[in-house]
Amino acid sequence: MIELGSVSLAHVGSVRQVRKKIRLLTMQLIDEPLLATRIATAVSELSRHLVDRGGEPRIEVGLRQAEGRTELEICFTDLEPIPRLPFLDAFFDRVEYDRKEGQKHFIRAWCAIPRAGLVDARAASRLRHMVEQKSRDELVTDLEIKNRELVESFENLRRTTFAKERMESELNIGRDIQMSMLPLEFPAFPDRTEFDVHATLVPAREVGGDFYDFFLVDEDRLCVCIGDVSGKGVPAALFMAVTKTLIKSRASNDSSPASILTHVNNEISRQNEASMFVTIFLGVLDLRSGSFTYTNAGHNPPYIKTRSGDLVRLDKRHGPVIGALEDMVYGEDRVELSVGDTLILYTDGVTEAMNVEGELYEEERLVRSLSQESDTVEALVSSTVEEVWLFEGEAQQADDVTVLVARYLGTGTSERIETLTLSLANRLEEIDRTNQEFNAFAETHGLPTALRRQINLVLDELLNNTISYAFGDEGEHQIEVEIELKAGRLVLTIQDDGIPFNPFVGPEPDTSLSVGEREIGGLGIHLVRKVMDEVSYNRRTDRNVVILVKHLQDPPTDIMERTKES
Amino acid sequence: MNISTRDAGGVAVVDVEGNLDTNTAPEAQQHLDALQDDGAQKILVNFTDLDYISSAGLRVLLATAKRMGAAGGSFRICGLNETVDEVFEISGFSMILNVFGNEAEALEGF
Repeated sequence: MIELGSVSLAHVGSVRQVRKKIRLLTMQLIDEPLLATRIATAVSELSRHLVDRGGEPRIEVGLRQAEGRTELEICFTDLEPIPRLPFLDAFFDRVEYDRKEGQKHFIRAWCAIPRAGLVDARAASRLRHMVEQKSRDELVTDLEIKNRELVESFENLRRTTFAKERMESELNIGRDIQMSMLPLEFPAFPDRTEFDVHATLVPAREVGGDFYDFFLVDEDRLCVCIGDVSGKGVPAALFMAVTKTLIKSRASNDSSPASILTHVNNEISRQNEASMFVTIFLGVLDLRSGSFTYTNAGHNPPYIKTRSGDLVRLDKRHGPVIGALEDMVYGEDRVELSVGDTLILYTDGVTEAMNVEGELYEEERLVRSLSQESDTVEALVSSTVEEVWLFEGEAQQADDVTVLVARYLGTGTSERIETLTLSLANRLEEIDRTNQEFNAFAETHGLPTALRRQINLVLDELLNNTISYAFGDEGEHQIEVEIELKAGRLVLTIQDDGIPFNPFVGPEPDTSLSVGEREIGGLGIHLVRKVMDEVSYNRRTDRNVVILVKHLQDPPTDIMERTKES
Repeated sequence: MNISTRDAGGVAVVDVEGNLDTNTAPEAQQHLDALQDDGAQKILVNFTDLDYISSAGLRVLLATAKRMGAAGGSFRICGLNETVDEVFEISGFSMILNVFGNEAEALEGF
């Protein structure tokens, strides 16, 4: 066995060098370009494969001479097992796979060189020189590679420094956007006596995309929400701003939390190229009744602290995080708050706060902290956040800490609300029954005859429309009618699960045409619009909701008397 | 709804009592159609005892007015309560139909 030396396959450039060397070497032994090319190709193919996968591949070249035959021996070594590439068998005469010595894996391949003749010491030395010596090309390539590495590492250093500065400023901009979106003035509603609300967001230095919001949807309903956007910096802040704006705009004419989040989720998911998402808890508090309707989309379950100090966890969940999946339909639940009950919303920055020992704050500590006495919503917010700080101690705050507290204080008056709720099937005869029920309700509560007739007319028009056109199938459907009477107004709500249809968008009929020209279409809705003071249509989740309001000139005597009594 | 016809000096007076709406409009339409089929040339619909009318009822009145007009007959309406009158105003029907305060006024010069 005559060893001719080894070549390291350090980089792609070395594959070309190896090919050249093997070819020249073979040509020294026998002047057969075809054979030389064949062997060189086989060696360079496997070499290229080894270089591409990284590691420390080498090839060792040797000659085996016995019984007048000469074989070229190529040994490929690497730290990883060398794959069994089928083409080797086609190029070489013999291949020995899967060998291992110490840390090194190797395969050996032999190719017979016919008529090579005996290689003497001088010839061997010349061949060795050929294998070992680095050509000028090779040296230049080595140098170029070293040089490139140096430039790269310098560039990396420069880029890291620059990126770090840029990230800092980007985080700051993100933080500014985030904080500017929050209501920060307290008391937020100094002229409202039915509730009290307070909130705070303590931003972390880096990670964090928390937000909170509260606003009056209408005179009688308070919307509260809290959320946590995935990610950080400007993208997270913009995402949060968009989410918050979509919620508020939707909530202005839709008081169902499930419907709001279903809508917001679709808006966000549809164009969510960055695949960001946000956890949201959103609830609407009816300030007259204390009824709290809420939807939880992947957020930490809030608590209710009852007037007597008990803590109730709202652990119902209604769907995945917002932005993950289009066409999700979120559900909602309802809980009745008594006067003095307090809602506590928070983000995972509270429960996942960490102290220097690496312990998490956990919900258990939060519950203990919430159980302490606190007079005002502001005090409850502060004490909750301070407990987290105390726990964290010297440890750096890792995530935004956000807490929102809302207390229901009741209307303080005993204004009566009379309600008539009816469920009817989608048959025209049911309109009659509805009107009869309403007439009885109207009589009980002393509604003026003219008003009663107007509502009869409106019910006839809308229910006829719904029953005749809302359902694409022959099946049985339920239509919900709710009539609410309180001093000053009568509110009529009609809901169905039919095809989405807004009755109030069609053109108004031309009422100035003569008998011959007049068409009757659209007249019913025109009458409804004119007779009622407010009309609105909403698509809530999978329902059409029509709400109509009639202002009462004189409060019904019945209500006046009862108000006097109380 | 109750609907009936009596004769008042050659005028077919149709009294409608109750509601003229989705559920009762078909019957009112049949009743008025039958009168015209029998060759009535003068029809007065008396709404004195009508509680309310919806667009389904207006449709009946419009169809009758069109047919009577085409046949050279006369069609009058009287006795609207506050709500019915409001509906006639909103829909423009008070301008295209011959509406009178009460039966006596409507029959005068019919």
